[in-house]
Amino acid sequence: MEMDSLPNGNAAASIPAGTTRISPTHTTPSSKLTQLTESLKLEHQFLRVPFEHYKKTIRANHRTVEKEVSSVIAGVSDAADSDMSKDDAFQHLTSLVSRLQGLKRKLEEGSRTEHLQAQRCRARLDHLESVDAENFSEWSNTRLKRILVDYMLRMSYYDTGLKLAESSNMLDLVDIDVFQEARKVIDALQNREVAPALAWCADNKSRLKKSKSKFEFQLRLQEFIELVRAENNMRAIAYARKYLAPWGATHMKELQRVMATLAFKSHTECATYKVLFEPKQWDYLVDQFKQEFCRLYGMTLEPLLNIYLQAGLSALKTPYCYEDDCTKEDPLSQESFRKLALPLPYSKQHHSKLVCYITKELMDTENPPQVLPNGYVYSAKALEEMAKKNNGKITCPRTGFVCNYSEVVKAYIS
Amino acid sequence: MDLNPIKDAFAHIAKRQKLSSSKAEEAIDQVMQEIEKALEILESSDSSSEFVYKSAIGELKKKLQDISPISQLEGTQKELNMALSKYPKQLEKSFHPDISKTCRNIGFDVHTVNQVIGRHFYRLGLFSIGDCFINEAKESESTVTVRSMFSEMYLIVEAMKDRNLEPAIKWAAANSNKLKENGSDLQLKLHRLQFLEILQNGRRGESLTYARTHFAPFAANHFGEIQKLMACLLWSGKLDHSPYSEFLSPANWNRVADELTRQFCYLLGQSFESPLSVTIAAGFQGLPPLLKFMNVMAGKKLEWQSMKQLPVPMELDKEFQFHPIFVCPVSKEQSSDENPPMLMSCGHVLCKQSVNKMSKNSSKTFKCPYCPSDIDAAQCRQLYF
Repeated sequence: MEMDSLPNGNAAASIPAGTTRISPTHTTPSSKLTQLTESLKLEHQFLRVPFEHYKKTIRANHRTVEKEVSSVIAGVSDAADSDMSKDDAFQHLTSLVSRLQGLKRKLEEGSRTEHLQAQRCRARLDHLESVDAENFSEWSNTRLKRILVDYMLRMSYYDTGLKLAESSNMLDLVDIDVFQEARKVIDALQNREVAPALAWCADNKSRLKKSKSKFEFQLRLQEFIELVRAENNMRAIAYARKYLAPWGATHMKELQRVMATLAFKSHTECATYKVLFEPKQWDYLVDQFKQEFCRLYGMTLEPLLNIYLQAGLSALKTPYCYEDDCTKEDPLSQESFRKLALPLPYSKQHHSKLVCYITKELMDTENPPQVLPNGYVYSAKALEEMAKKNNGKITCPRTGFVCNYSEVVKAYIS
Repeated sequence: MDLNPIKDAFAHIAKRQKLSSSKAEEAIDQVMQEIEKALEILESSDSSSEFVYKSAIGELKKKLQDISPISQLEGTQKELNMALSKYPKQLEKSFHPDISKTCRNIGFDVHTVNQVIGRHFYRLGLFSIGDCFINEAKESESTVTVRSMFSEMYLIVEAMKDRNLEPAIKWAAANSNKLKENGSDLQLKLHRLQFLEILQNGRRGESLTYARTHFAPFAANHFGEIQKLMACLLWSGKLDHSPYSEFLSPANWNRVADELTRQFCYLLGQSFESPLSVTIAAGFQGLPPLLKFMNVMAGKKLEWQSMKQLPVPMELDKEFQFHPIFVCPVSKEQSSDENPPMLMSCGHVLCKQSVNKMSKNSSKTFKCPYCPSDIDAAQCRQLYF
């Protein structure tokens, strides 16, 4: 193993401290607090997603008002400029009034949605604020459930996601309704329908443009390919003129490649073009959509579960985890966790942390490590207890070696 | 962490939003009123005079242009928009905007992850959620056995919650040898609970018989405790005022249930805590230093993808420490089979390579880096943690 790479200046920490004591491994309350703060800082998505949702609703509601009011005003102008009969004018104006009434109802409904979404944003802030030393373990359990719901939603296991959220009474803490929007698009793409995805692109046009997304282009390409597959060449050409040409300036290469399928046809054996007709292109579109969707809502592109699993597995991974006598309490004693951790780096330790083989407790100044004449080390607590029970005799549990408690010496580990 | 600035910023947005929607409502009302006014004029005017209604509509058009409801909304909307675009920036500043940058592009095997999750649900006794998940994720094959193992465990624990010890005692009796091997006196603890339960129900005679049949096998190792329990017989009916009242605490039941769960998992070859919970909790502690490192490393993404060992230590709480780690205080390297820890005559410990280096391959004595002792490499002993 490489152990000598220390790239970011930890030299100061590596000077041996001139003490004969074990470095304190107990976390003090203040460091517990900073630890908590640090882990709260990981919750960006938790606050961001409901906010983006709220913002979207506000904007949409505002657009409706603007559109309706302008068209009512335009309606009045039309009436003033035309030669309507009085009765017609009367009817026209009455219809405008009822239109405005309709708008008011819509606005009220919109306000209710806005209110609920604002409430959700606040609930999340409150949830983050509510954590303290007393409720930490319960709070962490909820956190794990939140992460699992996030995983379920991203993997399209919607029923499980909903069930888990409902059973834990935490609907405000997860983004089930946000994912409803994604679900429609994904389901359609899986049925090889592009329309809902295109509608979604239109809905989020300005933001997709800002992030230079080419998702719409990819959808258009796929539609074109489907026309070629159906040997509907004239329509394919017309489609390309209308929908693909505008992308020519930025994505000429891809455009040319797809256009060439007109000549090669769907049964081509030429690898460059054959791949374009494969069904996995649709899966690829689903993945693309998921990424765009996550980006738009400020979500991480990976499921949260994977991020924390990677970090956690690395933190826990030591060469000892892969030995046969690895304790069952170590997640890495399990085959599935070992498999997941395989491509991840080992953890790094700067300080000795000794765990007693017998009691599984940490050996420190309170409970120092003691050495048997055969070199095996156990905690003072374990050996004292054993000596008390067996008239001062110590039996090494790993070798069967027997000695007197008086022969045991203390080791100083720094 | 101080969330107040963020809360304030959000309150500001909510206020602006309310203002903006009430403004919109006002504008709509205004337009509506004007149109209704015009309608009134139309209705009341003489049907023959075309001029009146024409002018009424013309007037209305002019008025609406004067009111210009759309530009009225613009002001408040602009302020709201500003607040809306400021808030995400504030979030990005106070939180880590992208925690996924610590991820390696390794693409976890979905099947394995799903298996882990399915087991997690079953381990926690969330059977209906687990079933739903297994069904949706189509992972039925791999978790069937896990499910049945844990469902047996939860049947026992649930029965204990209803103060029914029978399934627990039955299970402990069936596994009594293995329990003894682990040094667990779970069986006695269960019998004790049962004994006290009978006694508390006022059936003194029955409890005495129970004690005779069930405590006897434990008499050799647990004599003191059994004596105390027998003394309880004398306090029958007023046990809660007796010196032994602690035996009645409901916490005892929870403790025994915990012990049972622990032993049950152990015999199954499973951990007491859900391994997924442990790993994710470790992830929460490990991620912040990793993110800090990634920010420093910003330019060298490639290196990160291939490192064999993390470049920074993640200080985890001691509940995550499953293996003894010895780091040589001189070389700062973790000990290994080739480079084991060595105990020097003064009681301090270094690893073998450091001892070799300092003694010039055992050719001379050297000074312990921690105390004034002279060390002879030949006197050093290898340690096994």
